[in-house]
Amino acid sequence: MMNPEMSENSLYPIAVLLDELKHDDLALRLNAIRRLSTIAQALGPERTRNELIPFLDEAAEDEDEILLAIAEELGNFVDNVGGPEYATVLLHPLGNLASVEETVVREKAVASLNHIGTVLSPAQLESDFIPLLKRLHSAEWFTNRASAAGLFAVAYARVNPALQAEMRQAYGQLCQDPTPMVRRVAAARLSEFVRQLQPEFLIEAAVPYFNCLSVDDQDSVRLLTVEPLVTISSALTTEQVGEFLLAAFRALAVDKSWRVRYMVADKFVELTRVMAPHVAKEEVVAMFVSFLKDGEAEVRTIICSQIPGFCELVGREDVLEKIYPHLKELVSDPAQPVRSAFATHVSGLAPLFEKEATHQYLLPLFLRLLKDDFSEVRLNIISRLDKVNAVIGIELLSDQLLPAIMELAEDKQWRVRLAIIEYIPLLAKQLGVAFFDEQLTHLCMSWLGDRVFSIREAATRNLKNLTDVFGAEWAKGTIIPKILGLANHPNYLYRMTTIFALTTIVPSVTPEVIRASILPAIESLVTDDIPNIRFNVAKSIEALAPVLQRDPELRPLVPAQIVPALTTLTQDPDQDVRYYAQRALQTVQNPVS
Amino acid sequence: MGTSDLDRQIQLLRNCEIITEAEVKELCYKAREILIEESNVQQVDAPVTICGDIHGQFYDLKELFKVGGECPDTNYLFMGDFVDRGYYSVETFLLLLALKVRYPDRITLIRGNHESRQITQVYGFYDECLRKYGSANVWRYCCEIFDYLSLAAIIGDKIFCVHGGLSPTITTVDQIRTIDRKQEVPHTGGMCDLLWSDPDNVETWGVSPRGAGYLFGSQVVQSFLQTNGLDMIARAHQLVMEGYKRMFDDRIVTVWSAPNYCYRCGNVAAILEFDEHLAQDFKIFEAASQENRGVPSKRPAPDYFL
Repeated sequence: MMNPEMSENSLYPIAVLLDELKHDDLALRLNAIRRLSTIAQALGPERTRNELIPFLDEAAEDEDEILLAIAEELGNFVDNVGGPEYATVLLHPLGNLASVEETVVREKAVASLNHIGTVLSPAQLESDFIPLLKRLHSAEWFTNRASAAGLFAVAYARVNPALQAEMRQAYGQLCQDPTPMVRRVAAARLSEFVRQLQPEFLIEAAVPYFNCLSVDDQDSVRLLTVEPLVTISSALTTEQVGEFLLAAFRALAVDKSWRVRYMVADKFVELTRVMAPHVAKEEVVAMFVSFLKDGEAEVRTIICSQIPGFCELVGREDVLEKIYPHLKELVSDPAQPVRSAFATHVSGLAPLFEKEATHQYLLPLFLRLLKDDFSEVRLNIISRLDKVNAVIGIELLSDQLLPAIMELAEDKQWRVRLAIIEYIPLLAKQLGVAFFDEQLTHLCMSWLGDRVFSIREAATRNLKNLTDVFGAEWAKGTIIPKILGLANHPNYLYRMTTIFALTTIVPSVTPEVIRASILPAIESLVTDDIPNIRFNVAKSIEALAPVLQRDPELRPLVPAQIVPALTTLTQDPDQDVRYYAQRALQTVQNPVS
Repeated sequence: MGTSDLDRQIQLLRNCEIITEAEVKELCYKAREILIEESNVQQVDAPVTICGDIHGQFYDLKELFKVGGECPDTNYLFMGDFVDRGYYSVETFLLLLALKVRYPDRITLIRGNHESRQITQVYGFYDECLRKYGSANVWRYCCEIFDYLSLAAIIGDKIFCVHGGLSPTITTVDQIRTIDRKQEVPHTGGMCDLLWSDPDNVETWGVSPRGAGYLFGSQVVQSFLQTNGLDMIARAHQLVMEGYKRMFDDRIVTVWSAPNYCYRCGNVAAILEFDEHLAQDFKIFEAASQENRGVPSKRPAPDYFL
């Protein structure tokens, strides 16, 4: 948004900045505000307090953009006004900013006030901070009261008991404020305030706040009470939870607004943990199932994230009997985001199910999801197969899933193919050379000729990884001949893949292979008709040179073959070829030792 | 501006970060020196990959490069409409322009109807420049460059590439070569038609519903190709849900490279690869997924800029 040139600090003289603070051009004013610290440092603490702060105090009429910047800068101004003992001078301007119409300005001002509140002494809190809080709290216009709700937590613990009692009462008023916007902030800030309350006041204060907000007629307020429910429940004894909060939990879980149910579903594992002693397993399972079958796709999507955690709490027997029949349905959920989320999280069940049940119950779901119409669903299941692998072992997995994987290896969505490629080195490690060669080598080679550039690129990296797994001999016999075959492809993009692939595997093969196969292949492309190939030859040689120079057997090849080849390329008619050849020649002739 | 400076700017732009106004000014100066040497109908050697409208969809342009290969490894010809409508016209055009300056032989840019002062003031590029730089200078520098962009290109003497299509005032390629292109796109005439016309099932010429350019039929295409010894016309300019569309017995093809156009049309995009033997291969791609896409700034442009 700002001119990036203006981000260099010290260049502007202070006088100019001071002028710009009053400039008519908003962009210049904004820029000056962003350097308030520089100005303050130049003025020194005393003049900052006496001149700059009063000046900023009057700025409250300015554009929101400016106010936002001031609100942010003042939060970091304690040192500029002379340290914590003078920090109270910042309260007045920030208090003004905390009462303006624009929400983002107010929120920033509240954040800055919180920041300053932490460095104030108890005496300063009582003499300056609390009066500001009271002023905002009792103001007529709701914006003030909304800001007030955000200032309780930082001060409460460090003021005297009489003030604390006043504060508790004041917060209760905010929870019943006539304006929903205020109640919303009260709900959003409830958790942090509750954490400051002494245990003896939880029942007397926190529970009434919560109970009042959790039955608010606005769903936007109710949905914010789910998080405080977790906070308060964790602070209370189990008996107290049962007595005071259980009813609210039950009510929120079946709230008529899906946005509230969404919030409950999002925290369901945590909530189940705190409510567990009071609720029969049947009841939470029934709640969970009702989320799985919720009418809103958003709710079904979010509950998917809770599947592994919740099922672990419930135990395998009950999951299989009571939950699995409903989980199974999600595979064919009409909403794609639901299936996508389910595909992401269902593999998390494998450790709980263990080998046999995973095989029997989860694999069929995986196979269905692997065939989903949406690539994201397929992608999510593939990219988490390693979890399943750890449970049921590669043999069973490959038996069952290999056909599906083979099919996906030719998926029309290239990102799905990419996910499969990334999974291949893992498979290779587990399957061993013989099985791999039989089933998958052909596939890996075919990716080198893929129509999508990124797949060809990933295929070359994959070959390097496979070479690391199976060894240089395997590479020499199996993959190098095939790569060399591509050097004669009529399309330049595929000939380029040869260069990339050879360059990539060089660190993993023997000097003999480099000398006998790789170098000649790369050199043969020096005279290619297409300049793109020729400059990639130069780039490739640049990358190979350090490898050659490190090996005493190969080092003589540098002056004998490499340098002449590059010299030829530096005479090329194409300027890009000349550029890369010259750069490579420099690298080759001035090796970094 | 040295190569390393330019490489650094390209790196920034590839990350969807903007370069400074002073850098834009210098980049445009360099670009002008290169473009001024190019003909109205730029000769391009095969192999080359041709692309249609991008419209500021930066993350989809990155997707395009993932599918087709990065520049300079792959040669590209972009057939105009780099800017407007998408959220990242500035980054999109500056990246393409920086690549052009760094690798002039590897990438060709020709002008689309949106590379115009008038159009960009309505469809977003002007506002975006103002928002991202705080002044209209960058927009002004870019508009000057628009005037220097070639109007058409011919690949390997056989494939005629243009943003829109043909014009009733133009029968030979040489006539295009005589246009003085260094001007704002006019409202009528040959230069306007090249950037605005559409092929359609009309006998010869028809009135364009766009209010500029013409509709032209298969006979027009046939005789233009014959007169000029060409095989085919490749053009962009029209949204095609399948990414590309052949017409008139494959004599003309529309290539569209903005997937999910305007972030809501649900179309796929295409690029067309010509290898060194002019063999054609279409590559289809979809919009970048959410995780590969930066979130555009949630705050709308502040009022005072508008």
